[in-house]
Amino acid sequence: MIVGLWMIAGGAAAGVFGSLLGLGGGILIVPLLTLGFGLPLREAVGVSLVSVMMTSSAAAGVFLERHVANLRLGMTLELFTATGALVGGSIAFLLDEQLLSLLFAALLTYVAITMFRAGSREEDMSVEPADLVAETTSGRRSRQMVLDQLGGDGYEVRNLRLGVVGALGAGVVSALLGIGGGIIKVPLMHLAMGVPLRVATATSNLMIGITAAASAVIYVIHGGIDPFVAGPTGIGVFVGATAGSRLGHRVDLRYLRILFVIVLGYTASQMLLRAMG
Amino acid sequence: MIRSGRAGAMQAERLIGRLLTGVTYVSVALLLVGVGLLIAAGISPVSGGPGMDPARLVSDLLGLKPAGFLWLGLLAVIAAPVTRVSVALVAYIRDEDWMMVGVSTAILLVIATAIGSAVVSTA
Repeated sequence: MIVGLWMIAGGAAAGVFGSLLGLGGGILIVPLLTLGFGLPLREAVGVSLVSVMMTSSAAAGVFLERHVANLRLGMTLELFTATGALVGGSIAFLLDEQLLSLLFAALLTYVAITMFRAGSREEDMSVEPADLVAETTSGRRSRQMVLDQLGGDGYEVRNLRLGVVGALGAGVVSALLGIGGGIIKVPLMHLAMGVPLRVATATSNLMIGITAAASAVIYVIHGGIDPFVAGPTGIGVFVGATAGSRLGHRVDLRYLRILFVIVLGYTASQMLLRAMG
Repeated sequence: MIRSGRAGAMQAERLIGRLLTGVTYVSVALLLVGVGLLIAAGISPVSGGPGMDPARLVSDLLGLKPAGFLWLGLLAVIAAPVTRVSVALVAYIRDEDWMMVGVSTAILLVIATAIGSAVVSTA
């Protein structure tokens, strides 16, 4: 019973932190369950997938009602994130746990460095997207026709090919490591495809649901999701993320970010030790 | 957002949003009942829960067993986005938006492939 309450509390903490820092909870749930509760990594990934789905579906519903998310773009890209998740979910059961731990350690390190740099340079992605990538290929009329249909009010979408490749990659990573993948999708849509940050964030959130569904069904059928763990953790993450979204503007994120970088760094080192057996 | 000029599209988007939120809250409620029963029965979450067995779901629910409510809640979590795409597909068919009809259908096919491939590989 006590373990159950700790699991709810841990999930809530992951939800609050994830929500405050715009990361979703996935990146924290897996280390919480593996390092904190001794679960096998693959099982933790399965639980994390359903937990991030709960929070993303609730938020995505609100975004859709307010017409912030770009449903057409989101659905077009999620066709590819779901395909990536299908591949990732299928190979997740073939990969060694130590290799998965190594991949997770690499992900944590990447996120820690990104967050550290964002904090030290006060860099954010609210600037207008630069032309990082070449203009859309002229002469490809069919692709241009698709792009014309995916834009929203006041912006046009570009670089569909890059978007498709990035979405496939985001789907694979999501399925293997149990994360929503916003860390890939938001910069992809905002910087490479020219989607405003607010729309990119909302659309990325919307896409988590179907992406994680594609891999979650594989985890369920393979017996990779334990309902006794997923229930308390999912409830905790949901409550935490809901509270975090309301606390957001009242918290000084600078110190929180530093704390988070330290936590991520420590967790990455623990995951690395796990990878080395 | 569904582009302006498409009849009923904004309304469909609002409906899909409400549906997504509604199903999510239903799943949270089911999970809460499941967790409550789990705690009341004094079962440790790390004791290893049962896998998904459709044949046992109804009897577990009727017998007020935590696994029944937890699995139904988890299935609702997974079903929420799939339902969202299905409703969007119907809306796009009504709008005769064939590109998005193709995209929605393809997404549902990917989900079906995921289920099929997992069933085959575990058989």
